[in-house]
Amino acid sequence: MVRYDYFKPFTLGEALELMERHRDAVYIAGGTDLMVLMRQKKLSPKALISLRNIEELSRKDGLVIGSCVTHREIQEDETIRKGFQALHDAVCRLGSTQIRNVATLGGNICNASPSADTACPLLVFDAEAVIAGPGGERRLALVDFFLGPGETVLQRGEILKEFRMPGHGANTGSAYIKQTRRNGVDLPIIGVAVRVTVDRKDLRCKDMLCSAAPASEILAHFGEEELRCEDIRIAIGAAAPRPIRARKAEEALKGQLISDETVAAAARVAASECAPRDDIRGEAWYRREMAEVLVRRAVMKSLDGVLRPDEMVYPDRLW
Amino acid sequence: MHGIREDHRSDTIGREGKVTMDLTAIGKRVSKKDAPPKVTGSAAYIQDVKIPGMLYGKILYSRYPHARIKGLDTTKASRLPGVKAVLTGADVPPFRFGVYKDNPPLKSGKVCSLRDEVAAVAATDPEIAEEALDLIEVEYEELPAVFDPQEAMKEGAPLIHEGHVGGKEKKPTNVLNLPWRLIAGDVEHARKEAAFVVEGTFTTQWVTHCCLGTSGCIAQFDEASNLTVHSNTQIPYLAQRDFIDALGSFGLPNRRVRIIQSQIGGAFGSKLDTYAYEYIAILLALKTRRPVKIVFTREEEFLATSPRQCTVTRISHGCTREGKLLFRDMEMILDNGAYTSWGATTPSVMMMPISSLYKVPNVKYIAKCVYTNNTYSQAMRGYGNPQATFAIESSLDELAEAAGIEPYEFRMINANEPGETTPQNFKITSCGMKECMKEVKGRLGWNGKRRQKDGRGFGMASLVHVGGGARVYKSDGCGTIIKVDDYGKVDVFTGSTDIGQGSETILSQIVSEVLGIPVDDINVINNDTDVCPWDVGVHASRTTFVAGNSCLGAARKIREQILETAAEALSEDPSGLDIAAGVIFAKHNKEKNIALGKVLRNAHYASGGKMLMAEYFYDPPNENFDREFKGNLSVAYAYGTHGVEVEVDRETGSVKIINYVAAHDVGRALNPMLLEGQISGGGVMGLGYALSENMIYKNGKLMNANYVDYKMPTVKDVPPMQAVIVETDEKNGPFGAKGIGEPGLVPTAPAIANAIYDAVGVRIRDLPITPEKVLAALKAK
Amino acid sequence: MKREISFVLNGEPVSVDVEAQWTLLHLLREVLELKGTKDGCGEGECGTCTVVIDGKAVNSCLFPVMEAEGRSVTTIEGLRAPDGGLHPLQKAFIEHGAVQCGYCSPGMIMSAYALLQEKAEPSDDEIKDGIEGNLCRCTGYVKIIEAIRSVAKGR
Repeated sequence: MVRYDYFKPFTLGEALELMERHRDAVYIAGGTDLMVLMRQKKLSPKALISLRNIEELSRKDGLVIGSCVTHREIQEDETIRKGFQALHDAVCRLGSTQIRNVATLGGNICNASPSADTACPLLVFDAEAVIAGPGGERRLALVDFFLGPGETVLQRGEILKEFRMPGHGANTGSAYIKQTRRNGVDLPIIGVAVRVTVDRKDLRCKDMLCSAAPASEILAHFGEEELRCEDIRIAIGAAAPRPIRARKAEEALKGQLISDETVAAAARVAASECAPRDDIRGEAWYRREMAEVLVRRAVMKSLDGVLRPDEMVYPDRLW
Repeated sequence: MHGIREDHRSDTIGREGKVTMDLTAIGKRVSKKDAPPKVTGSAAYIQDVKIPGMLYGKILYSRYPHARIKGLDTTKASRLPGVKAVLTGADVPPFRFGVYKDNPPLKSGKVCSLRDEVAAVAATDPEIAEEALDLIEVEYEELPAVFDPQEAMKEGAPLIHEGHVGGKEKKPTNVLNLPWRLIAGDVEHARKEAAFVVEGTFTTQWVTHCCLGTSGCIAQFDEASNLTVHSNTQIPYLAQRDFIDALGSFGLPNRRVRIIQSQIGGAFGSKLDTYAYEYIAILLALKTRRPVKIVFTREEEFLATSPRQCTVTRISHGCTREGKLLFRDMEMILDNGAYTSWGATTPSVMMMPISSLYKVPNVKYIAKCVYTNNTYSQAMRGYGNPQATFAIESSLDELAEAAGIEPYEFRMINANEPGETTPQNFKITSCGMKECMKEVKGRLGWNGKRRQKDGRGFGMASLVHVGGGARVYKSDGCGTIIKVDDYGKVDVFTGSTDIGQGSETILSQIVSEVLGIPVDDINVINNDTDVCPWDVGVHASRTTFVAGNSCLGAARKIREQILETAAEALSEDPSGLDIAAGVIFAKHNKEKNIALGKVLRNAHYASGGKMLMAEYFYDPPNENFDREFKGNLSVAYAYGTHGVEVEVDRETGSVKIINYVAAHDVGRALNPMLLEGQISGGGVMGLGYALSENMIYKNGKLMNANYVDYKMPTVKDVPPMQAVIVETDEKNGPFGAKGIGEPGLVPTAPAIANAIYDAVGVRIRDLPITPEKVLAALKAK
Repeated sequence: MKREISFVLNGEPVSVDVEAQWTLLHLLREVLELKGTKDGCGEGECGTCTVVIDGKAVNSCLFPVMEAEGRSVTTIEGLRAPDGGLHPLQKAFIEHGAVQCGYCSPGMIMSAYALLQEKAEPSDDEIKDGIEGNLCRCTGYVKIIEAIRSVAKGR
């Protein structure tokens, strides 16, 4: 018979202390991954320590997001929608409304699926994970947080406390696109997040038509103006045992003029940095192809976010 | 946008210029009578039924796809507190169920698939029962297994059922002894004459019903060992017969069996045969002398219910220079899986589009069903028609291209027409195929543009299906009993089952129309074999037609009785009376009237009193097939055409449906709202079949037995859809109606495949049409 | 070991003894005998178990019962008006033909209920977002969207 105890601490200290006392316990936040794992008998703890009622884990404050903030709360946050579009994009397409209402950002990251939708956006925003443990707090770059499918650096008893994202300058846009098997609720066959900063201080938006057109056509609207990529981050999920940064692709585009050729070339490099597998969700060759396509589209979508930040971003399918 | 109405309602065509009767219930958008309890949560599905003293049963499935059972130890399980019975194959007298009687409810000796039932437990709590399963020790000796029917056909392949022999030499074989062979005309001769011939191989995948309410039943014996089963079966009377036979084998001959149907949470053919779990529940109930409930988890629903089988089809098609079809030659190999259920008989239905979809004078079809160590299949909406039509309608487009004729024109040239007799001896009465095709073309804005830069294209495909019953068994009948009570309310006892499609409402509308009483005054009882008359089952889209006609017959008899009785009370001739809103009145003077309730009370509160009750058994005048599979299987045939406009993303291979028009010849729309529901429901199921659904098996094991990785459509996957109802007034149907239950998903996949070809010039011959396949094909060009 | 939790259920305060490992779904169906909320998959994928907690749609099959403490839970049984009248959503589902086998209906209606509480006039896209996590195999969703839209627009 499945029996476990359930504790509801109200502070981080209480939670850590409960974990010390109950050797066979696990932490639970939203529970949307954990409850399924337990039902499938992949996990059989003797106690659950709920993190849901700990205020300091549910704070959202500028560039700091508590690990127990739900995806729904993130979806409704205007600051994130305007300034961290990729994260907004990701949560909008994560699970269903019911899942988003309870599932937490920290829970999704700690589950450490290589395809976690929120991982890539957090990576392109240079997020740091702040970890609380019996011995105090430590921080590390999120990219180093993942060790492999389902594995993180968290030691026994440690709690992922919050995410910190450094601010980024003006002229920065971001996007997250994922390729799925159907339009509704789906895990990504592959997911790509991009953050791009362009080198234009006095960018004027030109009146552009629907951009099903290739990048060169859009860029041609700028006439004599040139767009140079000042900085770029590219993260890819479901294409390796952990979400990865496509650093070579980033190098390839950083400092370059943005054009069809340079973006396409960077996308090809990004695809080569992936190590995808065949699984029941998708085939390796297709994932690699899509890495290239989606990186290209995500760069353009991010640019779109820079050029017309307050206007409608195009629906995913055009990109 | 062409064809899509703002209010998403259907358009009905075909009544122009026809005399419309003044109808009060027929043709109206009447709400479903079973909807109120369903929206309040009070409707009781099998999951919700609880009987005092009830135990919970759980089943242990095989660990290997093919193995001998060397040892089975249930002692630990039996000792677990709360466990009341543990059964294995050794505890059951020899008994086999299923279409071929090759399936024992609990396997002993050997297991032939991963869904084989090896043992079962009844306990006071489902969790205890689960735990007990873990305590059962089974020792297996693995045997070589075979998962590909083409491999299983070869000499030396592992034999699934060692005793099974076949062929002329009666040698052991995995090929079933089924006579699936249809020959009409002379295909070889026609092949030589044809100006254009195309060939192709098409494959379809395993898909499953995904009913939101999982399978389950409660078995309960009384003191005399008569059995009651609470069930969500689609075949109450056939199940009753199967269970009576089973009881006979279990040492209980001559017993009564009562089937009580709970609300059914979806069927789509999944409950058209009995399953091992039902016999297991019966055996556990017998052993414990307590009611035993078995309800499947979602995982079990995927693993242990029987899906639509996959097919490999070779087809060749030929036509004259002018585009007239000359021949159709098809060969199929079907994976029968480890045991035999209705999947083995789908070729008999596949013959229907093969011989009768479009006018094609020379036809040949051979199908082989082969045992493998896979899951076994049974009925699923369309029953083989979707698989066959995918091949036929895709190939037809290829032939049209070879002949240089536009796909719509090609279809019109060969369209079926009323009054035809097809090569399978189907007698086509009403036929709205041409109207359906015209509607689709017009509403899509079909403009003959091909392979334009924008990645958009059009495709269409038609269907034929039985629409007036189907004599697949010796009987195709349905009985109805109607009784009127003292308050003017009517009870209609029908053998047919409502699986959610709304038959209860349709029958109420028919009775309402004939008797002139409000639909709300009619109560349909359809879920108890002790009370309701016989019906062969909900299949073959037969319920509106057959149960409808049965109801019509009984209602007419009752109407006569009512008018006769009222005539006495009103001192009028019955022919001078009419009924409206529950009141019988004299046609020449409405003031002269009497309420229906009063008529009834008058009838029996009198000396020599009588009651008003009528029964009618309708068995449609269709035919069983002869030995050559020819015969007028149905009294009427349903036609339809689906058309789509797609947009293909050349970089990702994703296919987006821009516009979807589904036109269906239904004879007569008894209830347009319910019809629309069938059309959109079927269409979306068809979309899933075409684009995303796939049971992924590896070495007999289902890798995606869950909703995460079995991708059925969500609300976001539904394109703009327009339903068009074409009315052709089928004279043999109740008020002119024909069936619609299955046609909704038959032509969807080929319509999409054809549209993709139109858009980007690649032809996908393998379902589902995933972005991977499209992209791979584009790259290969 | 049983613990007592207190919460508001369909507008009324309840106190009930629960086992820590129960899900809210188990409490509702098996203990409180409120059978309207359904069990369709147990994994949060089908939505038939949807209830509304503090105004938000939630899969009760994944919701630990202990977290219900102090919250306001609404199930399909709680949608009726005090005089027994049906909620506009329930009426709309009936009138628009949005119910076939009905197994998905309670969960679907609860998701729509939560949506309309948060947004009185959702667009079609927002309606689809609201019920994306509710699977239906019978209707093809078309009439479900119609029904919800009709309530949203007050038609």
